[in-house]
Amino acid sequence: MADRSRELSGKSQVISIEVNGELHEVTVRPRHTLVEVLREKIGLTGTKDGCEQGVCGACTILLEGRPALSCLTLAIECDGKKVRTVEGLANGEKVTAIQQAFLDQGAVQCGFCTPGMLMSATALLEKNPKPSLPEIKKALEGNLCRCTGYNAIVAAVRQASGQGVDPVMQ
Amino acid sequence: MILFDFQYERARSLAEAATLLASLGPDARVMAGGTDLLPNMRTEIARPAALVGLGGITAAEPQVDAEDNIRIDALTRLAAIADSPLIRKRQPMLAEAARAVASNQIRQMGTLGGNLCQDTRCLYLNQQHDFQFVAPCYKRAGSCCYPFPQNKPDVCWSVYMSDIAPALIALEAEISIVGESGMRRLPLEQLYSGNGLKPFTLGKNEVIEAVIVPATPARSGYGYHKSSRRGGLEFATSVIAVALRLDDALMRCTQARIVIGAVREQPIRAEAAEKALVGHEVGAAAYDAAAAAVHEIKPLPHHGFTKSFIVDNLRVYLRRVLAHAVERARASGMVA
Ligand SMILES: Cc1cc2nc3c(=O)[nH]c(=O)nc-3n(C[C@H](O)[C@H](O)[C@H](O)COP(=O)(O)OP(=O)(O)OC[C@H]3O[C@@H](n4cnc5c(N)ncnc54)[C@H](O)[C@@H]3O)c2cc1C
Ligand code: SF4
Repeated sequence: MADRSRELSGKSQVISIEVNGELHEVTVRPRHTLVEVLREKIGLTGTKDGCEQGVCGACTILLEGRPALSCLTLAIECDGKKVRTVEGLANGEKVTAIQQAFLDQGAVQCGFCTPGMLMSATALLEKNPKPSLPEIKKALEGNLCRCTGYNAIVAAVRQASGQGVDPVMQ
Repeated sequence: MILFDFQYERARSLAEAATLLASLGPDARVMAGGTDLLPNMRTEIARPAALVGLGGITAAEPQVDAEDNIRIDALTRLAAIADSPLIRKRQPMLAEAARAVASNQIRQMGTLGGNLCQDTRCLYLNQQHDFQFVAPCYKRAGSCCYPFPQNKPDVCWSVYMSDIAPALIALEAEISIVGESGMRRLPLEQLYSGNGLKPFTLGKNEVIEAVIVPATPARSGYGYHKSSRRGGLEFATSVIAVALRLDDALMRCTQARIVIGAVREQPIRAEAAEKALVGHEVGAAAYDAAAAAVHEIKPLPHHGFTKSFIVDNLRVYLRRVLAHAVERARASGMVA
């Protein structure tokens, strides 16, 4: 059995992160990951903690505008940086085009992958408003859906980008 | 899964990182994107007492130096390499290889230096300690290599999986290394020791600062192929990278570097395959001869693939990759 004793050598430090436009000062140890801090210290539980190995993409957030895995990001490295999470997409009751498209296309089953999918799709559409089918697939390759609802998700990205959804199903 | 505690220091430059490594002692490691190191820390394959974070350093843009080489900062993110107009135009194989790595998120986080120094992998080693079905293996200071119990105590068959290193070795890239006492240059090929227990020849307090890729001469062509189970977000079954050059008549191969990755403890030059090609007229017969010679590289069985499957895979894809490389060399020869 592995030795589970953990020496407490990592000094705590106060960092400030801007999450969805709001500044947060939090005390973290070096070992705290961004997903832990978002969920447990800031109370934003939209971001999901999945495989913790960088495989499933459920914890995807936007760090300085780029999609990143919050399970493989140390919070201490985000001091002074801007983070966007799924909670930052909708403006009150008003959802974004990609969120509406997920609703219209039924691009959700169990829902666990959805926040990460929405963040990857948001990053894609902000950079490339009319992505081709291969570009959509490449941008979403790091987000796994265990319910394998990929067709509806790709259709939603097509809808949000103002393109026909039909070819996806072929 | 909670990470163990460690000390964290932020480096403001790579030279400072080397100094910090030296002052923090033998259990300190640098962390760039963290996409290889943090999963290994979670499974406790790596247990550094201190991390020197490189995340606060801004990478220089890829640029052409006075000798017409492309110089790429080790901290350049893989997505930036895949998207760089300069690299896509001058070294398209490198852009293709960067795009083949993992997923969009990992390409946005992972760096070139981290990719080249990623730890070797093995199905037994790369799981949480408590899930290992017997006991620690050699690489965790245990007393056996459980998947290959016939291995001698100093032999570990973990596999080096970078998608980028084979392409850069085929392109004759060099690395510049910064240590406490200054800089040195090394052909990338020599970064790899071939020893699964200690795969890199870097000194303890050294870090890679940049990768230097020489300009490709006229009538050169490349071919690259990564085989993987799913096509996306997957470590490779095999990687084949070829850079070759044709004579003035565009008929005969005058130079070839064939590098095979993800099948052994380090990227391997397929020298017999290179010999079967160089000096010969290019075409089906030459591709067949080169493909037949890939037996020489003796792949390790890994990640669920048998040795014979990997040999077959290499034989088939090397043929195709060579044909592509020749087509490209001919096309570049026509333009020139
Ligand atoms: C799910 C998943 C899939 C992956 N798939 C692939 C794949 O298909 N192909 C592939 O090639 N890789 C893959 N990787 C591995 C890894 O993410 C990438 O190789 C990435 O480029 C590593 O870069 P990094 O900056 O994140 O490295 P880090 O994790 O920061 O560092 C990795 C190692 O390199 C050392 N290091 C970092 N920078 C330097 C430097 N400048 N000088 C010296 N040493 C340094 C670190 O100390 C550490 O030991 C995958 C990883 C995950 C989690
Ligand atoms: S191949 Fe290496 S890493 Fe894998 S079990 Fe054997 S000694 Fe350990």
